[in-house]
Formats: sequence, C-alpha cells, structure tokens
Amino acid sequence: MAKKWGTVLRSWMTKNMELPQDVMMDLPRITMIGQIHIYIENHRGLLSFSDKEIRLLLKQGQLLVKGKAFVIKTIMPEEIMLEGKIDQVTYLPD
Amino acid sequence: MKNQWIEFYKGVVTVKAYGKGIERFINSLTRDKIHIWNVRSHGTSAITFQMNLRDAKKIRKYARDSECKLEFQQREGIPFLAIRMLRNSGFLIGAFLFLVVITLLSNMVWGIEIKGANPATEYKIQKELEAMGVKTGKLQFFIDNVEAIQKGLTNNVKEITWVGVELKGTTYHLQVVEKNEPEKIEALGPQHLVAKKKAIIENMFVEEGQPVVSIHDRVVPGQLLVSGLVGKEEEPEVVSAKGEVFGETWYKSTVTLPINSTFQVFNGNEKEKHYLEIGSWKIPIWGFGKIEFKEHEKEENKKSLRFLSWNLPLSYQNETFRERQTITRTYTNKEAVEVAKEMARQDIKSLLDDNAKIKGEKVLHQSADNGKVTLSIHFQIIENIAQGQPFTQGDAE
Repeated sequence: MAKKWGTVLRSWMTKNMELPQDVMMDLPRITMIGQIHIYIENHRGLLSFSDKEIRLLLKQGQLLVKGKAFVIKTIMPEEIMLEGKIDQVTYLPD
Repeated sequence: MKNQWIEFYKGVVTVKAYGKGIERFINSLTRDKIHIWNVRSHGTSAITFQMNLRDAKKIRKYARDSECKLEFQQREGIPFLAIRMLRNSGFLIGAFLFLVVITLLSNMVWGIEIKGANPATEYKIQKELEAMGVKTGKLQFFIDNVEAIQKGLTNNVKEITWVGVELKGTTYHLQVVEKNEPEKIEALGPQHLVAKKKAIIENMFVEEGQPVVSIHDRVVPGQLLVSGLVGKEEEPEVVSAKGEVFGETWYKSTVTLPINSTFQVFNGNEKEKHYLEIGSWKIPIWGFGKIEFKEHEKEENKKSLRFLSWNLPLSYQNETFRERQTITRTYTNKEAVEVAKEMARQDIKSLLDDNAKIKGEKVLHQSADNGKVTLSIHFQIIENIAQGQPFTQGDAE
C-alpha cells in the first residue's frame, strides 16, 4: 500500500510542479540518432549482449534493442551508448 | 565520452573475455567505475573491449567472481611504445655513435701536402709541423689556426721565404717558396780587382794575380788593386785575379732620437672569455663579467665543427682581451747619446757586408734641443773594397 502511495505522490508532483519525469520517476531517457546511435540513461544493468541484440534492466521491466553489428561505445553505471544499425527498441514487462 | 588521446598516452589494452557470466562481469566493472569502451561481441559467449592500462590489473578479481576467462590481446599507447623503444635502444645508440664518429673523423687532420719544397726542406717543415702539433690524426680543434702555423713556419724554418697554409677540408695544403741562394758565379774569365770606394789599404789577401798597391796606400774608386796579368811584361799570362783587399773606409751617419717617446704596450693583464656559438646565438660558457680595462685589444679565435664537407652551425669561440697601456720613456741626455750611438752602429752595419768591422768612431757633432738629441758620427770601417773587373785580351795589350 505504502509503495503505491509513493508512486501516486511522485506522479502527482511531476504533473503539477513540471519536473522532468525521468528524474522523478526513474524512467529511462533514450536518445537516438537515426538508426546508428542509441544513448540510454537510467538503466540498471546489462542482461545480455550480442552483436544483434542487447537487453538492459530498467527500474521497471526491461529494454530490448535489436539490430545489427552492435558495439558498446561506452558503458557507465547508469548510461550506455550503443552503435550499430538499430532496427527496433522494445519495452518488455517484468 | 573521454578523450581517446589521453587514454592513448596512458596506455590502452584490448581484452577478450569469454565464459558464461560476461554480462555480469560488465555490470560489476561499470558498478565499480572501471571505464571500458568499444565492447564487441564475438559469438555467444565472448566479447572484446578496450580499457585503461591502469585498470587492467584490477579486472582479474571481477573475472574470477563472474566465472570469466580473460585474454589480453593488443597493447597500444605510449607506455608500450616506450618499452619497445628501450628494447631497440641499441639501434638508437648505434645511430648516435655513428654520427659522433663521423663528426670526429671530419674534424681530424687527414693529410699534409707540401708543395714546392725540395725533400730536405720538406722534411724540416714536417718536423716543425709535428712540433707544432700538426699531425695526421690530430683533431683540428686543438691545432692553432692557419695564420699561426704560417707564422711559425716562416719564423722557424730558415730555408723558406714564404709559406702559404690552407686548410681544405681535412687536408693542409702548404705552398712553399724556398730561398734560392744564388750560387756564386766563379769568375773564370780574366779579371782585375779594382777598388770599390775611396779607402786606405789595411790588409791584402791575394790568392791569384799581381798586387799593384801596397798596405797604407790610398786608393780611389776604380783604381787597379790586383792585376790579372802576371809574369813578364812582354808576354804576360792572363789569370783571373782573386783575393780580398781590406781598406779603411769612412762613413758619416746622423741620428736623431727623441728624449721622450710614448709606446703602446701590453702590461700582461688579460681576460679570456669562452663561448659556444650555435647559429647566431652565443652562449658564454666561461669568463663572465665586464671587461674593466681602460684600453684593450681583442683577439678572437673561432673554431667550428665540421660534418663531412659541411661546417656545422656549431662553433667554439675564444676571446682574449689584453690590457693596453701607454708608456712614456724618458732618457737622460747621457743615455740618449748612448742609445743614439748604438742606433748609428746598427744603421752602419746594415749597410755593410758581414765581414766588415768598425775600427773607430768619432762624434762630430752633438746637439740636444726641442726634446731631441741629434748626433753626427764618423765611422772608420775596415771592409773588403775589392771588386772584380773583367777584361779581354785585347784590352790588356
């Protein structure tokens, strides 16, 4: 019950105080440059990595990126920059 | 993203990781802020990535924790280059030594060529050069300059009138002009001996011929002293008269000597400065401070380094400053007279032959005015007054 109250409060605050949602709600911020770059902030770790597919853990659920010739340009605790040819970005529920 | 160049300076390694838990491995690395980049996957359970050389030592622990095997592949960057350079330092040292040796050899004396001298003189010149330190195999750096060699040779080797010394590359070229002492022409033709100048005969050494004058005779120039006709008057024998006739001759010499005279002399105080010259940039290496001499003369000596046939823009320069002093010399009257007499004697001697003697001298006139001493001296000289005068048979008859 308490957790739910917290979420409700945060959601209300972001709506009414015009705070960025990614900061307030720990949501990922994804920046893409065409098909070649994808920059993901606020991830929670790498789940699997191959040259066609990358799976990242988020606070809620997972993010699946598919494509070709993936190279992780940089990886930091909460940021990752991926290069290659990105075909699809999918959110997966828990 | 970090600057790749800074990473390159620190050293970059490419690591291959394989095993089951590679994702876990990457997560644990990122969590502990170990920076990795260019992560690529190779097949299902192998990845390669690049990382800092400094962090490379730490990752073994993470690999063990996440059941991964590691393999270090490429090593790039300055630290590895430095190691390689150190390993190949033999080449560098060799190249450097080669340059040093070439420079050294370019600055050596490799030959001395003497032209225009006969073997005896050449040998003497060689000896003299050796004494001065000019030898094959010597460094030019420690040899006097060309002018000094030239001066030394002209002073010390009597057989030469002039020597031109030239340094071409590593060879000294010496052009010698020898003194050609003219051979005495043996007067074989018939001749008389006649008087050269007015004199009173003092002594006679007649080798051949018929003397026609005797001691204490007074002769005038051109007078016959020794006849080349000997024997009976009717049928004389013709010879070449030879001999020496010493007569007393007279010379008058006037000498003027100032009592006060000023000279510029070096008083022995000197200061040396040494410079290393690179291009037009002069670096003092020894001898600092200002020259405190009121009057001085500067002598420069420059020695440049050579490389093969080029002069390197690198030279050593030596400057010597010598203090100059003006000295006034004052004679007393008596001293002045003595000095003037000596000067007059020297003056006379330079006019005469070597075998002439001063028999007597007499001061005719002596005056001292306007700070000058003037002497007139009369000299009595004993000298050879005989002079050959050829004649032909026809003249004699």
